Amino acid sequence: MNGTALDIARQIRGGERTAVSVLAETRARIEAADGNLNSFTATTFERAGREAAAIDARRERGDSLPPLAGVPYAVKNLFDIAGVTTLAGARVNADNPAAAIDAQLVARMHAAGAVLVGALNMDEHAYGFTCENTHYGATHNPHDPARVSGGSSGGSAAAVGAGLVPLSLGSDTSGSIRVPASFCGVFGLKPTYGRLSRTGCFPFVDSLDHVGPLAGTVGDLAVTYDALQGRDARDHACAQRNVEPVGSAPMLPAGTRVGILGGWFQDWAGPAARRVVQTAAAALGATHWCEFKSAASARAAAFVITGAEGGALHRDKLKARYADFEPASRDRLVAGSLIPAGWLIQAQRVRKLAYAEALQLFDRFDLLLAPAAPDYAPLIGSETFTINGQTVPTRATLGVLTQPISCIGLPVCAAPVWPEPDGVNLPIGVQLIAAPWREDLCLAAAAVLERAGVAHART
Amino acid sequence: MTEPTESLLPYVRAALDLQGYAFPEERIVEIALQFARIESIARTILPPAINAQAGPDLGPAPVFCPGAVISP
Repeated sequence: MNGTALDIARQIRGGERTAVSVLAETRARIEAADGNLNSFTATTFERAGREAAAIDARRERGDSLPPLAGVPYAVKNLFDIAGVTTLAGARVNADNPAAAIDAQLVARMHAAGAVLVGALNMDEHAYGFTCENTHYGATHNPHDPARVSGGSSGGSAAAVGAGLVPLSLGSDTSGSIRVPASFCGVFGLKPTYGRLSRTGCFPFVDSLDHVGPLAGTVGDLAVTYDALQGRDARDHACAQRNVEPVGSAPMLPAGTRVGILGGWFQDWAGPAARRVVQTAAAALGATHWCEFKSAASARAAAFVITGAEGGALHRDKLKARYADFEPASRDRLVAGSLIPAGWLIQAQRVRKLAYAEALQLFDRFDLLLAPAAPDYAPLIGSETFTINGQTVPTRATLGVLTQPISCIGLPVCAAPVWPEPDGVNLPIGVQLIAAPWREDLCLAAAAVLERAGVAHART
Repeated sequence: MTEPTESLLPYVRAALDLQGYAFPEERIVEIALQFARIESIARTILPPAINAQAGPDLGPAPVFCPGAVISP
C-alpha cells in the first residue's frame, strides 16, 4: 500500500506526489498481486489515467483540490461505470450493453477527486456470503488464500485488505459489506437504509439494498462516506436529508452508552467471535448486556423478503437462461420466486415490529455492539460450517449476525479485530450499530477501537 | 428427500408450472429442497408463531419507507 487515502490526497495537494505516479504504483500493485487474489473483474486504467492527469492539471493551475484528489479506488461490479458492462457477478449480464453513465456514487467519487481503477468481484447477483463465483472465480482472502474473502462484496474487501487500493465501494443487502470486511480485516460502513443513493446500481432486493464504502482506516472510511452523501430523487428510497458530514476524525461523545448484544448475537457466535466482542467492549468501556429479542424474527423476515424480491427480479431470466446462472444459488433463487404473497406480507409486518423494538433499545443505549460474523473466514469450498453445535449451509448463513440489523435499516460500521490468542492470524469484525441516521456514532466508535489498537487493517 | 420436502413438493410443482418454469424432475426436487429451507425459516414468523409473541394484531404490512418510518 502506498499510504492511506488521506495520506495520498494530502501528498498530492502538497506536491510530494502526483496523481499519475500514484496511479502507476497502484496499477503495478494490482498487476502483480491480483492474479492470485482475483479481486478485480475489470480494470479501468485508461479512464483512471485521464482522471489522475486532470487532478495533476488542477494542482498545477493552483486550483483547490477536492478531499479525495488522486486517491485510487474500485467498485463492486454492480455499480455502473460508463463504458463498462455492469456484471453484478453474473454471466447472464455479460452480453448487456456497456453502461452509458456512471452510477450516482461513482459520479460523487469522481467529483471528490478519486480515481477509479476498476470493477470488483462479487457473488452472483449479490446472493451469497463467500464470493465464490463460478463464472469469474473465487476471490481469495488476503490473509489466507485458502479461505474465502466473504461476500457478496468480496472483491471490494479483498482489494482493500490486500493493499491494492485504499478504498472501495460495495453493497449490503443482508451483510454483504460487513461480512467480507470482517473476513478481510478492513473497515466497512453500511449506512442507514436510504442514506446513500443506489442510482446506477444493479438491484437485488430493493427494500433491503444498501450501498457503502470500505477502507483500511476509519478516517478514510469517514471522508469517503462524506463524499458519497447527498439527495437523489432518482432513487425512491434515498432520504430527503442534507449532507451530515462526519469529518476525518470522528470523536465519540463523552458518556456514550454502549450495550453489548446478547441472545441471538452470542448464540450464533463461536469462541473467537465472542472474544473479539469482549475485546471491543473493554476498549469502549461497555459493561451492560442487552437483547434484541426480535433478532431471530428479523432475520427470518429478511430471509423471506430476500427470497421473494430476488426471485421475482430474476424470474424471467431464470426461465430463459437457467443454465447460465450460478449453480450454487440458482435453485435458491427459483425457490424464492415461489414464495406465497402471505409470507412476504407477514415478513413486512414482522419487520415493522422488530424496528419498533430496536428503537426502544436506543432509549437505553447510544450504540450496540455485536460480532459481524460467527467465526473466522471458512475455507473455500466449504458447503457447511458448524457454530455452537449447529451445522448450517455456508453461503446462506454466514450473514446470520448481520441480517437482523440490515432488515431494519440501522447504520453499522464493521471494524476488524484480530483475536490471535488461539494462534489463528485472521480477523473477525465487530458491528457498531447506532440509531437511524447516526452513522457518526458508528464511525466514532470504530475510531476509538482503532486508536486503542484493537481494530485495524493489516495490509 | 426429507419428509417436509415431500409434503411441499406438490405446491412447488404447481407453482413452477403456474409461473411457466419447465424443469426436469430431479431439478424440481432440488428446488423443493431449497423451498423447504425457506419454509422452515418462514414458519418461525407465520401465525400462530409470531402472534403468540406479539399479540394478535401486528397491524398492516407497510412497504418499508425510511423517510416516513424513521424520523430524524
